[in-house]
Amino acid sequence: MKKAVPLLEKQGISQEGLVIVGGIGCHGKIMDYLNLTSLYAIHGRGSAVAQGMKLANPELSVIAFGGDGDAYGEGLEHTLFAAKRNSDFTLVVHDNGTYALTTGQFSPTSAVGFKGPSLPKGSVEPPLNPLVLLLEVGASFVARGYAGHIDHLASLLVRAVQHKGFSVIDVLQPSVVFNNSFKEYNALVRELPSPAASVEEAIRLAKVTEYLPIGVFYEVNQPVFHERLYGSWNPVVQRASQIDRRKSLRKMVTP
Amino acid sequence: MKDVFTYLIGGKAGQGIMKAGEVAGNLFSMLKRYSFQVNEYPSLIRGGHNFAIVSSCVKPVFSFYRDADVIVALDRRSYEIHKPHLKPRGLMVVNEGDGEGLGLPIVAESRKYQRSDLIQGVAGVAVLAAFLGVPEQRFQEFLKEAYPKGAEENQAYAQTMYGLTKAKTSPRVVSQGSKPMRNIVGNDAIAMGAAAAGLDCYFSYPMTPTTGILHFFASNADVLRLAVMQPENELAVANMAIGAAFTGARSMVGTSGGGFCLMEEAFSLAGMIEAPVLFVLGQRRGPSTGGPTYTEQADLFFALTPGQGEFPRLVASPGSIEEAFSLAGAMLNLVWRFQTPGILLTEKHLAESSMSVDLDPDHVPWVNPVLYAGSEPYERYRQTPDGISPLAFPPSSQVIKWNSYEHKPNGWTTEDPAEFTSMHEKRRRKQESLVSFLRTQKTVNTYGDGETVLFTFGSTTLSVREAMEYSDLKVQLVQPIFLGPLPVWELEQYRGRRAFTIEQNSTGQLAMLLHDKVGMQITGSILKYDGRPFEPTELAHQIQEVLR
Repeated sequence: MKKAVPLLEKQGISQEGLVIVGGIGCHGKIMDYLNLTSLYAIHGRGSAVAQGMKLANPELSVIAFGGDGDAYGEGLEHTLFAAKRNSDFTLVVHDNGTYALTTGQFSPTSAVGFKGPSLPKGSVEPPLNPLVLLLEVGASFVARGYAGHIDHLASLLVRAVQHKGFSVIDVLQPSVVFNNSFKEYNALVRELPSPAASVEEAIRLAKVTEYLPIGVFYEVNQPVFHERLYGSWNPVVQRASQIDRRKSLRKMVTP
Repeated sequence: MKDVFTYLIGGKAGQGIMKAGEVAGNLFSMLKRYSFQVNEYPSLIRGGHNFAIVSSCVKPVFSFYRDADVIVALDRRSYEIHKPHLKPRGLMVVNEGDGEGLGLPIVAESRKYQRSDLIQGVAGVAVLAAFLGVPEQRFQEFLKEAYPKGAEENQAYAQTMYGLTKAKTSPRVVSQGSKPMRNIVGNDAIAMGAAAAGLDCYFSYPMTPTTGILHFFASNADVLRLAVMQPENELAVANMAIGAAFTGARSMVGTSGGGFCLMEEAFSLAGMIEAPVLFVLGQRRGPSTGGPTYTEQADLFFALTPGQGEFPRLVASPGSIEEAFSLAGAMLNLVWRFQTPGILLTEKHLAESSMSVDLDPDHVPWVNPVLYAGSEPYERYRQTPDGISPLAFPPSSQVIKWNSYEHKPNGWTTEDPAEFTSMHEKRRRKQESLVSFLRTQKTVNTYGDGETVLFTFGSTTLSVREAMEYSDLKVQLVQPIFLGPLPVWELEQYRGRRAFTIEQNSTGQLAMLLHDKVGMQITGSILKYDGRPFEPTELAHQIQEVLR
């Protein structure tokens, strides 16, 4: 993020109009590392808060940060609906495959057999595949990044913020303490040369396990939610005047 | 005794009963008479027993009356249920063969038309117009406006029913009032009051009894210039409203008890980050799914304490539809002035009933919050004597940090014990400022005069006011508009008086609250918890019993 902010400014996205939202988890600590305008929200609800901001003032660039527990567990419904309605903001999921802040329990993306204090014999649930899920519900920009390839990740973030519509980056982010997989990831990740030509192809790529593709899986231009809802308008910048409001209301209450 | 004319129409869901009730109310408005309309319906789309009652008078009327001058029963079940409530000399109209009274071919005739079920409600309105002696041409013009969909069919059908009624009954001409009337349903009054105070965004997941607010805003979004959204659930609703408030948008949400349970974590978040959001909590019969389409006042304690932790909160409940309008506006202004969440507590009986009211949008202020002036580096939670920190909104040259963790004045996270203490104290000062402000406002309504005091809150106030007028009761009715903080400074004067509460719940929550906060010794409570609103003649009788 520290690398991405100057890159964003270069692309004309100023810090003044940039807002970041965090949930609760290890990822949320980013809110305490960045001197940016922000709302440090609660577990799972970051995407909902971000959508409220964008709906009220579409001029803002909004980035929500979530963890795997946050975006794929507690707040999965907000993640899926944001993708479904193509809300115009960026969701960055710090996916470390564990609930690290609460000392390493299994998460929605933990592998079967993952051992943590709530399941000492290992997780008995298969992980969900967030990219497949998001592609299925119609996300218009889906990417996977890797915390070990920082420059690549920063460029993904810039592309995601520039994308008009819902953009998501699932960031493979080993938990140094509870799920340290840097070694495995380093051997497995491979950068995608370009996005897939179709959703079907992107879904196929998202299921690949022989190696770990990173980069933009899919990108498409689609009408965004707030414009479909109320057209080209800004509720807070172009709010009704008190005189106009009263005039409209008087018509409704006069006998 | 008040000269009230009451009309009842009953039938199956899907026969246009509620629409007919609304139109009957407007017919009385055309005659310059006040009216009060209530609906009762089950949680079913088709087939359940529905009815609407409209009571009308040349003087203001605050309730429906059970005993009717005209009953239109569209099916046999309605006839059986409502037969006992026909006044002597009243008119019972039934679908031919479904009971005793004036039999009209309501169903048989309706088969000639496309919308044959929904059109049957029109028969009920035509019967009323003919019985009241409204000239046919005037009625037909009225009808065209009342039922714009399929106007020609409606008019032809109405003509038949009007003609048959006129031929077989002698009209009962009622006296007319002097000024034009406008009937407004509680939900619309709440919506318009908030709009008059500058509402920008409304978020809601449909739930009886506040769904009407969502529908009102959705159909008037363009003319009022509002953003209206139905998100995936109430968790999203509340958090989106908080996100919108962060940008400076005045935001409101509407729900009922079950939905509000889901909003509790966001309510606490709003308290911590000092987000101004107004929550409309429309009570219905609980617990759990309960009786979803029936009224109750059992969520008073719930509304006073939601969310973990200590933070300033506001709860107010309107005692009339006029007050629903003004209070929705006042509450929106208050949550922005004090940057904290507030609850407008109401119930099905107010939200979904309508009455003749005089609403004036020019009397609802549009208060601006304290804003950052830009002289020193911005601190979101700056320590101030009144606990209120100036607001700034993005885009801004300043860094604006709203934080659900305990925070320093600049919004950065802290775990320092001294900072924990000072932030709690800041929020407590804000609560004290809120109380000081409320002391300058009207926080309690009183009606009537007498030694005994009757306490109510919310729409029960309407029922008691009507009962007092009906039986000319010499009592003093006291309705705290604000329930949290409770205006103890106004209520203390009643300590030591003989006092009763009248509430629509089974435990007497208002009595407990008055005891705890004001030290009132409540002699007794009249409680009703069958999901139905109080009826004024029955209630007057109950009040007389306890006064004895």
